Amino acid sequence: MRLFWELVLTSFHRQLAYRAAILAGLATNFFFGLLRLAVLVALFGDQIAVEGVSKQAAITYTGLAQAMIGFLSLFSWYELMNTIYTGGIASDLLKPMGYFTYWLGQDVGRALAQLIMRGLPIMAAYAIFFGIVTPNSPAQWVAVVISLVLALLVSFSWRFLVNLAAFWYPNALGIGRLAFTLSLFLSGFLMPLRFFPDWFQRICAFTPFPYTINTVVEVYLGVLPRDEVILSLALQLIWAIILMLAGQIVLRAGIRKLVILGG
Amino acid sequence: MIKSLLLYFRLISIQIRSQLHYRFPFLLDLIATGFITLLGFLSLVFVFQRFGHIRGWTLAEVAFLYGLVDSAFGLMDMVFSGFDPQAFGRKVRFGQFDQMMLKPVNLTLQVFSSEFILRRLGRILEGTTIFIISIGLLDMTWTFGKLVYLPVVYFSTVAFFGGLFIIGATVTFWTIESIEVVNIFTYGGTEMMSYPMHIYQDFLRRFFTYIIPAIFINYYPALYFLDKPDPFNMPEYAYLLSPIVGFGILSIALAFWRVGIRHYQSTGT
Repeated sequence: MRLFWELVLTSFHRQLAYRAAILAGLATNFFFGLLRLAVLVALFGDQIAVEGVSKQAAITYTGLAQAMIGFLSLFSWYELMNTIYTGGIASDLLKPMGYFTYWLGQDVGRALAQLIMRGLPIMAAYAIFFGIVTPNSPAQWVAVVISLVLALLVSFSWRFLVNLAAFWYPNALGIGRLAFTLSLFLSGFLMPLRFFPDWFQRICAFTPFPYTINTVVEVYLGVLPRDEVILSLALQLIWAIILMLAGQIVLRAGIRKLVILGG
Repeated sequence: MIKSLLLYFRLISIQIRSQLHYRFPFLLDLIATGFITLLGFLSLVFVFQRFGHIRGWTLAEVAFLYGLVDSAFGLMDMVFSGFDPQAFGRKVRFGQFDQMMLKPVNLTLQVFSSEFILRRLGRILEGTTIFIISIGLLDMTWTFGKLVYLPVVYFSTVAFFGGLFIIGATVTFWTIESIEVVNIFTYGGTEMMSYPMHIYQDFLRRFFTYIIPAIFINYYPALYFLDKPDPFNMPEYAYLLSPIVGFGILSIALAFWRVGIRHYQSTGT
């Protein structure tokens, strides 16, 4: 366990080294947030609330979604895939800890750095310029934090799984792009899932994706009754476990296929 | 000129053949590229069912803008692949640009033909499909003028985005690192121009009217094609500015590019 936290810390510090990149990411995320905010506000028009979401909550949603891009590495994450292609995986497999745990530790460090350096500033800017809604009880704040942790677990396990495709394909980038696109759409990143048709929401609920962004957003905005909050958190946990197990099975099959050439 | 063109097509055809070598991954890539923007549009279609319109514009009218911009950006992204600021920044860092300078062929031509990303066809197809469907849904009154002006607007949009790409590439001569902020103008610009400009905050719209005059590229032409009144009381000929702005930006970008080449000092790698 100590080793795990050391990994988290190292990875956290490594992220902080890329200050210029983080600043650029921040500016880009904020600008796109402006555009998304304008679209949602224009759609609302004179309506005060739609599907239990107030205009101010919708504005907050665009901030939250943009703030989570870095935290969950929503658009792309191919680090593991690259080590399979370069052969770096050989030394990673020899490390005195599980392969999944090794990458999880790094991702937790990365995610924490992104949350602090990119997520929080975006929310702060939103609070200053547009005004945001905030959870109104300590219990709700606790639920938000738990939901964020579980969202990271679900998201990481999914990204881990996608990267393993590199064991079977000489260029799995296309598969990766398809996978990331799909998760953007079904996770409620592009639009709050509540605004989608009911039949489509039901389809989404059968996939792990809403349990990354949509759940965090709904818990944060307080649009769910208490027992539904608990149910959502439980579903996040269940999906995290399912994806982790799937990752282990696929990893084992992949390693059996892996041939590492000396030299 | 003709010799350059022949050389260009030769180099591009090599690019295309190598990309088509692995058929299945290419097909996946193609679908994925179209999919990304298609799903963005689909989410808009879904929410329109709840909201009905966006500041007076129907879904079909927004689709007219969205499809046109997406298709034009896709075409630009394919033809100007070599100038993609991120990819070009890498060429400068790793010294590939230095190698180009040693070859006895026009530099601009070399950069143009250094990359031709065929999978962008996915986005072109997606954008064009959305555009055609929107025309089918809209009850437009076509005039001779509109028919002639439509391709002009399309290629002006391509030129406009191409200019932004070249400016972004040129900036890397000085910064070496490709600067991500350029994405705000290229990808941000596409996103922004996919919706009617009157939905944006005043300061944002003013910026894209007077600093980067993107509003004339497709919004004013769209008002003309769709016979919609102008909410900002610009002069009546504003819709005709599209080619002037589009090709104007491209010319300025090419001039800036030439200045950049003259001032370029290698990183030594």
